[in-house]
Amino acid sequence: MFVKIKKRDGREVHFDDSKITDAIFKAARSVGGEDRETAMELTLEVLRMLKQQSNGQVFGVEDVQDVVEKILIEKGHAKTAKAYILYRDRRSRVRDAKGELMDVVEDIVKETDRDNANVGNSPSAKMLQIASAASRRYYLTRLIDEDYSLAHSRGDIHIHDLDFYATTCNCLQIPLEKLLKEGFNTGHGYIRPPKRPASATSLAAIILQSSQNDMFGGQSFPFFDKQIAPSMDGADEDKVYQAMEALVFNLNSMHSRAGSQVPFSSINLGTDTSEEGRGVTRNFLLAYEAGLGRGENPIFPNVIFRVKKGVSFDPQDPNYDLFQLAVRVASKRLNPTFSFMDSSFNKPYDDQVAYMGCRTRTMDNRRGPAVTTGRGNLSFTTINLPRLGIKAERNMKTFYRLLDEVTELTINQLYHRFQVQCRLKVKDLPFVMGQGMYLGSEDLKPDDSIEPAIVNGTLTVGFIGLAEMLVALTGYHHGQSKDSQQLGLEIVNYLRRKTDEACERFNLNYTLLATPAEGTCGRYVRLDRKEYGIIPGITNQEYYTNSYHIPVHFPISSFDKISLEGPYHRFCNAGHISYVEFASPPQHNPEAVEAIIRHMAESDMGYGGINYPVDFCCNCGLQGVINEPNCPRCGSADIRRIRRITGYLSTIDRFNDGKVEELKHRLPHS
Amino acid sequence: MKIRVAGIEKESVVDGPGLRFVIFMQGCTRHCSGCHNPDTWDFDGGQEMDTGEILAQIGEGRLNRGVTFSGGEPFEQVAACALLAEQIKPLGMDIVTYSGYTFEELQTKSLADEDVKRLLEATDILVDGPFIAEERDWDLPFRGSRNQRLILVHESLAAGMAVQAE
Repeated sequence: MFVKIKKRDGREVHFDDSKITDAIFKAARSVGGEDRETAMELTLEVLRMLKQQSNGQVFGVEDVQDVVEKILIEKGHAKTAKAYILYRDRRSRVRDAKGELMDVVEDIVKETDRDNANVGNSPSAKMLQIASAASRRYYLTRLIDEDYSLAHSRGDIHIHDLDFYATTCNCLQIPLEKLLKEGFNTGHGYIRPPKRPASATSLAAIILQSSQNDMFGGQSFPFFDKQIAPSMDGADEDKVYQAMEALVFNLNSMHSRAGSQVPFSSINLGTDTSEEGRGVTRNFLLAYEAGLGRGENPIFPNVIFRVKKGVSFDPQDPNYDLFQLAVRVASKRLNPTFSFMDSSFNKPYDDQVAYMGCRTRTMDNRRGPAVTTGRGNLSFTTINLPRLGIKAERNMKTFYRLLDEVTELTINQLYHRFQVQCRLKVKDLPFVMGQGMYLGSEDLKPDDSIEPAIVNGTLTVGFIGLAEMLVALTGYHHGQSKDSQQLGLEIVNYLRRKTDEACERFNLNYTLLATPAEGTCGRYVRLDRKEYGIIPGITNQEYYTNSYHIPVHFPISSFDKISLEGPYHRFCNAGHISYVEFASPPQHNPEAVEAIIRHMAESDMGYGGINYPVDFCCNCGLQGVINEPNCPRCGSADIRRIRRITGYLSTIDRFNDGKVEELKHRLPHS
Repeated sequence: MKIRVAGIEKESVVDGPGLRFVIFMQGCTRHCSGCHNPDTWDFDGGQEMDTGEILAQIGEGRLNRGVTFSGGEPFEQVAACALLAEQIKPLGMDIVTYSGYTFEELQTKSLADEDVKRLLEATDILVDGPFIAEERDWDLPFRGSRNQRLILVHESLAAGMAVQAE
């Protein structure tokens, strides 16, 4: 009857009606039918209708499928019709995914994505990006429930590290002392405990690397000074310094995160008052201060100095000299950042709270001991607060209803991911689980599920753009109005109660996070702008403000910024941080830095840092703020510019657009 | 009292030790080659303010250790600066004054000019001397050329000669 049919790509090919019969029969078989005769009869009906409709024109594949559906329904084959329609839809989604995926691969091959400021441009990096893109599409279209998938694509929520959804968990505070004491195995043989400082830090680097290979997030030593002190026993200052210097170099040069990045490493230190522990802290800070081969600012690790009254904060404290050293280094290296053990929410744990450089904090535990070592976050998903603010149209009742809906969705999505992660076996995370690093994994066998271990982890709800949300709800952000600040605190408190409730419901560690937003920043704004247009104070920038921070472009003194942001820390038990912005490194002014840190402590902050531009002339070594393209001293254009992006340092040409825009707007305090 | 100002920096880390409130004075006759702020030379530029206004703003900055007089040349509006300095001291803040004059030159001037004496005595740290481009050194704290000094004024007045910090 018909000779030709038009394929989806426009080509006209020979028409074969047996394909229609096959498709109908396949659908029928899937719901229990067995009769090919019926399929053939139905095909005739289809052809009849097609002839009527087409009027002599060449019809396309979609036209045929539309008619098949119609005929199946009209002739009463409801179950078959349903199977046919569902199959057609699935094929269509896969086709979209494939097509889009190939476009994405093409872009990658041309230039590397900058969603992750840490990734370079090498073949490894490109391979990572391609695998990442494919994984994301797979999970979104096949594994994750449509509700969550759609919410993510729409921009109501952002599922972080989507590309690792089914393969691993986020981060870990590494039990370094255990590994150094007992030795470990990364696959080819037993590595015995180190006897010298240099071996110890060498192994520390390897441990970070192996651990990083099993997880997508940060890796940290929660008590570095205490954990590695035993290996420094009896060693002289010189040897300890060299060992620390080697570690700093290692952490800035080994490319092993997903084959192309340096691990996201963090080190917590400061409260060990033993001779060896102090030696570790002192020499590590000095090595970090000295920098890399030409004196460059190290990018890793993130260094978190623990501040605690009676130990490292006041002039009469045993480690006060180390605090002063930390301040001196922080005045020119962007690290250390400072964690406050005396804040109301950290104090109950003495000095046991540790942070990641990005701000992650893991402490309370419903399913095991409330310790930080051997635990970490499992995954996190961020809520788009500004969008809720816009949709609420100044109606608080509407706002809370929308917030409830999206929070509930997020909580359930996190649980879904947790269940997927529980399907992983110990052998899937050979180092982290296989070597018993994760709390609860010690007695598990290779084929056991990792669930007994990961129940100790956290499931985290995050948020972004409190400032823009407040503008949407009241016309002012919390830097501009006391009422907005009140409302902001109320809402974040409300979110924390929601996660606390989820803990009860699921008997898991649900927590609230002040998301360090990187990829999310620009994506949300783009989507919201598309949907709601350009709204001044909300969607008119290229980014949303980080968590509860005061917008970076708003002129405000350090004092006021700290006073306003401080109260939010206690609600965000999964992690929080506040930054103070300077126009240039306060390197001759440790006093100014100390004044800031003390005010942070007074404002009940848990974690804080100072930001300033670090420009370095690779030619003559001049370090400072170089606002022109060439070095003012030697004229070279080889300038390395480092900025902090959501907790981790990176060189400026590697930031994504949202963050570069935000960087341009950062106003130093004045 | 009226004072002509080029600008104000409410929280600086580069104009003296600790966090500081910085007032950039308008007007300077020296015109050093390579000056950081040539916009401050013109005596008719900038903006006229009242010392009372400035004092009020200073009171708002709760983390600041002290105030810095920069510019421009503070000693060109010496009466206003001296007044401000004397009103700032009771707030518990210290004073850093930048000047193109050397300490020795100012000591001599203070013998004939009471206001110069007042400002000098109210100053805790004097950053003295013109900026000399050939002596440029990027590693110096709070100043640009090697001839410039951080002078501890009270110790220096007591000793009868310049006593430097660090």
